[in-house]
Parts: sequence; structure tokens; C-alpha cells
Amino acid sequence: MISSSLKPDYAIFAVPPQLIPNPPRWANYPEALTFVPFGRYTLNTLLISAVTIVGHLLSCTVVAYAFARLRAPGRDALFLVVLATMMLPYPVTMVPLYVLFRALGWINTFLPLTVPAFFGSPLYIFLLRQFFLTLPTDLEDAARIDGANTAQIIWHVILPLSRPALATVAIFTFQTSWNDFLAPLIYLQNPQNYTVTLGLQFFRTSYTTSWGYLMAAALITMLPVVIVFLLAQRLFIEGIAMTGVKG
Amino acid sequence: MQRPLLQHASFAILLTTLASILAACSGAANSPPPAPVERTVVVERTVVVAQTVEVPREVVVTPTAAPQAADAKIVLRVGTGDSGEGLTPHLTIIEQFEKENPDIQVQLEPVGSGDYYARILTQIAAGDPPDILQIGDDAVPNFVSKGAFVDLAPFIASNENPLDTGIYLPGVLEPGQWEGKQYLLPKDFSPLAVYYNKKLFDQYKIPYPTDGWTWDDFLQTAQALTKDTNGDGKTDVWGVQLPGPWTTGFEYWVAAAGGRLISEDGTTFTGYLDSPETATAVQFYADLYHKYKVAPPPADLNAFGGGNSEFDSGKAALRLFGRWPQSGLKTNPNIDLGVVGPPVGAKRANVLFWGGFGISAISKHQDAAWRFLRYYVGAQGAEVWKDWALPTVKSVAEASGQASDPIEGVWIGELNHLAPRAYVSTPYWGATADPALRKVLEQVIIDPNTDVAAALKTAAADAQAAMADQQ
Amino acid sequence: MPHLSASRREALNFYLCISPWLAGLLIFVLGPMLVSLGISFTRWDLLSPPRFVGLRNYERMLGDPLFWQSLKVTAIYTMLYVPTELVGGLALALLMNQRVPGIAVFRTIFYLPSVISGVAFVVVWMWIFHPEAGLLNLALAQVGIDGPRWLTDPHTALSALWMMSLWGLGRAAVIYLAGLKGVPKELHEAAIIDGANAWQAFRHVTIPLITPTIFFNLVLSLIATFQTFTSAFVATNGGPLDSTLFFVLYLYRQAFERFSMGYAAALAWVLLLIILALTLLVVRSSDRWVYYEGARR
Repeated sequence: MISSSLKPDYAIFAVPPQLIPNPPRWANYPEALTFVPFGRYTLNTLLISAVTIVGHLLSCTVVAYAFARLRAPGRDALFLVVLATMMLPYPVTMVPLYVLFRALGWINTFLPLTVPAFFGSPLYIFLLRQFFLTLPTDLEDAARIDGANTAQIIWHVILPLSRPALATVAIFTFQTSWNDFLAPLIYLQNPQNYTVTLGLQFFRTSYTTSWGYLMAAALITMLPVVIVFLLAQRLFIEGIAMTGVKG
Repeated sequence: MQRPLLQHASFAILLTTLASILAACSGAANSPPPAPVERTVVVERTVVVAQTVEVPREVVVTPTAAPQAADAKIVLRVGTGDSGEGLTPHLTIIEQFEKENPDIQVQLEPVGSGDYYARILTQIAAGDPPDILQIGDDAVPNFVSKGAFVDLAPFIASNENPLDTGIYLPGVLEPGQWEGKQYLLPKDFSPLAVYYNKKLFDQYKIPYPTDGWTWDDFLQTAQALTKDTNGDGKTDVWGVQLPGPWTTGFEYWVAAAGGRLISEDGTTFTGYLDSPETATAVQFYADLYHKYKVAPPPADLNAFGGGNSEFDSGKAALRLFGRWPQSGLKTNPNIDLGVVGPPVGAKRANVLFWGGFGISAISKHQDAAWRFLRYYVGAQGAEVWKDWALPTVKSVAEASGQASDPIEGVWIGELNHLAPRAYVSTPYWGATADPALRKVLEQVIIDPNTDVAAALKTAAADAQAAMADQQ
Repeated sequence: MPHLSASRREALNFYLCISPWLAGLLIFVLGPMLVSLGISFTRWDLLSPPRFVGLRNYERMLGDPLFWQSLKVTAIYTMLYVPTELVGGLALALLMNQRVPGIAVFRTIFYLPSVISGVAFVVVWMWIFHPEAGLLNLALAQVGIDGPRWLTDPHTALSALWMMSLWGLGRAAVIYLAGLKGVPKELHEAAIIDGANAWQAFRHVTIPLITPTIFFNLVLSLIATFQTFTSAFVATNGGPLDSTLFFVLYLYRQAFERFSMGYAAALAWVLLLIILALTLLVVRSSDRWVYYEGARR
């Protein structure tokens, strides 16, 4: 990829392939970035991703805790419903969803891309539920005997033990909304509101593709995800220490 | 020092936000009976809904572009499948138009590539399409026959803003018509042609192809330029790079063999898709790959160009395709570019690829949309388009010198040899013959021993059955 | 809350805590799902109003060779991919879990491939799978093997997509990694002190403790693999000769290229039933092999 990002288009699929571009075409980078307003699109996407992460962490933690720990009639059936909502392919709900968001007046805003996050995502509810189920109950039982309510238990007992899982949710959420294509495609109409993936699509037309630009832009737009991962994965290391202390 | 700070800060934010929802959740749990089950949610929801529900209501209340306050502009939405540099002409024209028409604001909504249709279909199904939509000729019958566009005749003939349809080059209005009425007007077009790399012709001292050359000339030229330069038994320079199983381009070969893919009334494939003429075309195409071995095998059957890049690398002498990659080929140092019409078989033939604009049938601003459309595709617009694509307006093509240019003149001249397009005669091409023909082309490209006549017979039967299913 | 029994209070608490999800289900999920179910009984081209056709879309599947082909392709791919992800992802996670200097960079490098978005990803693989000049066939030529034509050969295209998918293992590995971090080190150390070797400790201590994660990855990859779309959409578009025609790709085509939204919706609901059935099998079996440290029944 790096190699392709430095080539003129005609050399990208040259046979045999050139591993080191000669001469490297650095101009692909500035040209790709002026060609499409990636600064604006990056800000849009960062905003959407950040709000979505907050939404998922808030809602999924609580919902997942309930599914993992609280006993109630209908719980297991409802959990199957959580799973089942992941099983219907997106293309067939796209039109009804559009109608819904239009009725709410949300088309051409970031709301369809962010608000649903506050209502939980089946994927991360499932992920966190599985993780919570591996945690020993002793600490919680002790806390409950001491009179702690559910909120206090989640706050003081579960959360400190769950950093690796929460980090995973944050990373995945970030990456998913960063790379999301279909939803922004459908709901964002004004180019001012476009996201990075929609911007990348600008390098392709029906019959031609500007591969050099595409590669350059793809590399640059990957950077935020890599940085977020590098930062977040430190929580994994911490996870060990915390468990060691508490366990 | 930085690291823990950063972590703690982000983690604190996380915990604080979590705490707020938890407080709501458990607070409710502790204060017993009429526990408002949805408290946390309801708060968020009502806030948002209250803010936003009014917006569509406003639109409904003032449905037509009735005279409004002086500063209330009509916002026209324009959907296009163009992207990247291709947007510059759109934006240039919009800027000019807005300057001359201060009461209208045009919002261009571009989506690159194939996902464009998924988006506009969703918008149309939800009753929310752009006022002006760009679509390709292959989509015209389906969209128009299902009522997605308005008939432009009253607008074209209007007293206030008429359009002289005599200004266009031959053949570029027809793809926008359905059952004799004009629903779309042309944006740009491309026939097919053969690119050739003069460098290779000069190196091997082969004369350049000339207008009116035949399939035999084509084959001989390709054979003369297929070379194993290092004697390792593998071909290093290829005669011709073909566009693989590209069905819509393949229609040229069928038309040039004297056949057609569908009956004139757009209903019947048997006797057409499996005719001896179609078989001749498929066999010749397959032979270029397998028998004469003048075409490199496709590296990828998905991309339009067959995924091949030999011509771009200076490793193929000829390439049959549309005008789309031409600007890149002109600046490619491996190539000294020439362009010639496709070779003549039993007949001289070519096929057109076309994109145009129409006005949505449910647009609330049809009059304003027409004012813009007339400008967009008329002489003023063509003055801008000409720098990016072939102009559709005759006078513009002549004044710019493109009609007599050694390269652009070839493309424009090919408009005189157009064969009727199968996919403009039925709304169901994409669901019927297109997949069937594609399968045949993939078969013959992959398997040299394919029985062409039998494969076409199956394809025609499949397509016909699919057609029956559509009615 | 003296007047509420403990179990009723717990149930109330449960429903309160899942209320965001329940509300979201009612507002954003259930409606569109039910609408799509309704659409599956119609014929709808998205342009003109839908027409009720009863069960015709479902009957049509039985005689549609491409329906069976896409089901077959998807099933084969799932059988190839799911085990790879379970085993490969865990192996990768174990590597990522090592405590050596530079592990952060190492983890990132292994995660990186799953970050690259659609189009760019495919270009890289076109380089690798190119029949003449691809890295893979050049490497095979070094050891005297004349490589196949990968993406353009119906016999190898699906395997090629499977190889492509291995790039996404980083995602599964990160989930495993989170699970592994939940395994108290003391337990592992205790087993070693008791005389177990590293493999035995892994097999009898680590594995049982991460079965919830394995369960998650199994269910999730079942659900996701049956809905494979992007790689086939961009890299092969279902070809050659329908050898990579995934179910959802076929569905997408019906919806937006063949203008048969009704048929697409019917296909979608059949897919949901298939995945649901398989998921139920896994869930039922999980009582026997998934160990929950903190389960409360």
C-alpha cells in the first residue's frame, strides 16, 4: 500500500510489480488531500465516532450487566432477541430505516449515525455480557451485603475489573464508525457532512480509479484508528495489574 | 508522566458518563412503585424529537415554491454518480448559474461509483429523492417506466424557458427517451474505440490502424504485435487488451457481426441472444484469447477493464474501451496514444454509453429544476463540460476544435455508426439478459473448450424465462 | 423496599437496566424489521408501489438455482472460516499476550490489517493474487509450483477470499485478548506449581476460563460469516461463474440491481431463520462446554 501510494496510476498494476517506486511520487499525498476536503471529513467522522463510543459504553455496560447478573423472567428469551437483531442483513432494513429517520427529520444530520448508539448495540451487549460472566461474584455479593445498589456495584466492582473489555468496545466502535460506509452514504446528503469513507469513494468513478490518490488517502485516514488502538491497548496491560490486585 | 495522565483523564470521562446513566437507572430502582421504566431514554428522545419534528412539518406546510420572502431561496438538490475531479464541471456550472439566478441555490449530492443507485433508490422509495437526478442510459427504461421522472416535453416547448433540441450531436438525445418522450437530457457520452500505442507500432514497424479497418485487419495487427521478446515461451507484448466479460461493451461485437441481442420490441431473446451472428461474435472474441492468444488472460474478472493493465504498462498494443481513461493514457509516459474506431465486421457498428439528467416526478420545485437543467445541459453548460468530456452540443464541439481533433474527432465521428442498444428497449435488461450473457462470456474466457452455440442457447432460454417472470 | 420480595426487585432492576436497549429495539429496530417482513410478501421495485404476492417470493427460492448456489457458497465459506477464526484468533491472541518489550507495536501491527477499509484492502490483495505478477504466485514459482489463477478461476476464487479473510483475524484476537486478561494469573501459576506443564495449564486452566469468549467468537463469527458481503462485492462481484456468490451479495443484487426488493426481503428472512437455528444449536450446546465463573441462574 505504501508503495502504491507513491506511484503514478499507470505504474500501480505494472507487471512485474515495482516494490520501490522509482521515482517516488510524493505529490500523491498533498494532491489527494486537496482533491477531497479530508480535513473537514476527518472532523465529521471523529465527531460521529466519539459520540458513538460514549453511547455504546454508557448503554451497553448497563444492559450487559443486567443480562449477565440480574435474574428475571424472560431474560434468556430476550437475550436471544438481542442476538436475532444482528441476523437480518442491512440492505432490507435500509429503506424502512430511511423512512423512519426522515419522519424524525434526521436526514442529512449526524443523528441517525449517533443516537442509536445510546440505545445499545447487540454486538457489544453480547461482548460485555460474556466478559462480565467470567468475573467472580464474590466481590459483588460482599458489596451487596454491605448495602450497595446496582449502580454502586457496577461502578465500584464491575468497571474496574472490565477495562480490557471496555477498551475492546471502544476500539471496535471507533473502527466500525470510522469505516462505516453504507449508513453515511444513505443518510448524509450535503457534501459538507460527508465522512472519510465517502471521501475515499471520490477517487473511483464507474470506469476509472485514481489508485495512487486512493492509496495515499487511505493510508492517511487509517492513522487515527492506529493511534487510537495504540493508546487503548495499554488498558490491556493495566487489566492484568488490576486483576492481580483485586483477585 | 504524560501517559497515566492521559489514561486517567479518558477513563474518568468514561466513568463519569457511565455514572450519570447508572444514577438514573438505580435511582429509579430504589424509589419504588410507579417506576418510570424508560426514564433515561425518554428524556433523550423527547428532547431530540421535539427539536426536529418541526422541520418536516414546515416543508409540508409550504409545499410548492410559492413566492416567499425575498431572501428565501429555493434549494435544488442534484444527485450525481460522478466523483472526484469529475465534480469540478458540475460545481463550475452551478456557480455560474447561481450568479445569474440569485433566487435558486443548488446543492450537489455526489456519490462515487456503483453505490449511487442504492442511495437514490432508497431515497425514491422513501419519497425523498433529489430534484434532479443523473442516471445512466441502462437505467432509463426502468426508472422512467416506473414513473420516477417527469416528461420534459412541456418544459422544452414552454414560452418562458424553451430548449432547442436541435443543438445536440446525433444520437445523444435518444437514450433519454422512453416510448417516444424525452425524460432525460444528455450530460456526457462515450462510444467505444480502439486505443493504440504508437511506440509499439513504431518499434515493430507495423502501420497504424486506419478508420474503416476490418476484423481481419484487427486480428492481423494484434498477431503481428504479440511478441515473446526474451524467448522464454511466454508472451511479453500483447496484441490487444480486451475488456473481459464486460457485457454492455460486448454488444458492439454482436452488432458488428450483424446481430442483435433482443427483438426490436424489447421482449424476446430467443432467436437473438442465441443467433448465429451472436455466436460468431462470441467465438471471435473467445478466439482472440484462446486460439490466437493475442489477448492477455484477465487478471480479475470483476473490474471493467478485466483488471488488466498491460496497455497502461506499455505491454499491449491495442485496447478496446470507452473514452473514460483517456486523459490518464495521454499523460502516461509508456504510451504515445492514437485512437481509431472499432474494426468493421459484417457491418460497421458502435455502441453508446450515456449519462443524463432528469427531473424527479415528486420534486416540489419542478419549474426551478427545469431552469437549472436547461442551463446544465444546454449550450452554457456544454461550454464547461467540453473541457472534461465530449460536448453534447454540436456548435460547442465545432468551435472548440474537438470535432476535427485527431483523437476527439474519432469519438465524435463514431456517433454516426451507432447500433441500437438492447438495454434501452426493456426495463428488465439487468434482471434478464445481462446476467445470462455475462455467464457465457465468463465461460468462454475461462474454458477454451466451451460450446458457444450451446452456451448461448441456454443463456437465451434463461433470459427469456427471467423475462416471463418479470411480467 | 420491604414490600417487594428480593426476586421481584431484582427482576425490576433487570428491566430497568435493559430499558435503553428495549426502547431502542422498539424505536429503531423492530419497526424496520417488521416492515421488511411485510415487504417479503410483496413484489416491489422501489420505484412504484409494492404489490402483495403472498408467499410467491418464498416459493420462487425453491426453483432458483442461484439461491441454492449462494447458500452453498456461504455454507462452505462459513465452514472454512469459522474454525480458522476460532483457532487462529486464539493463537494470535496468545502471541499478543506475551509480556515482552515492544509488544504494543507488535499488537498494533497484527491488528492493522483489519483496520484497512474496503477498497484499499482489495487493491493490496489484487497485488498478491495477480496470476502473473502476484506476490503469491511469484513465491510459488520460486519453489517450482505453477500457481493457479486465484480470483479468476472458479475452483480457487473462494479459497482466495478465505485467505483474504485471514487478515481480519486481528479483530477476533483482540476479543480473545480481553478474555485472556480476565484469567487470574494466580490460577495459572498455581497449576504450574502443582506440576502441570505449560500446555496442561493452558488446556485445563486457561481454556475453561475463556470458554465464554470462545462462545462469543463462535456465535458472532457464525452470524457475521453468513452475512459476508464486502470482500466479494469489491474483489470478485460473485464471480467467476458465481463461485463466490455469497448470500447477502445475491440479496443486495436483487434489491438494488435487479429491482426486486420483495425477493431480497424474503431472502433476508430465510437467512435470519438459518442463522437463528444454528445459533440456537450453539446456545443449547453451550451448557455443556461454556464455564461461567460468575453465572447466576
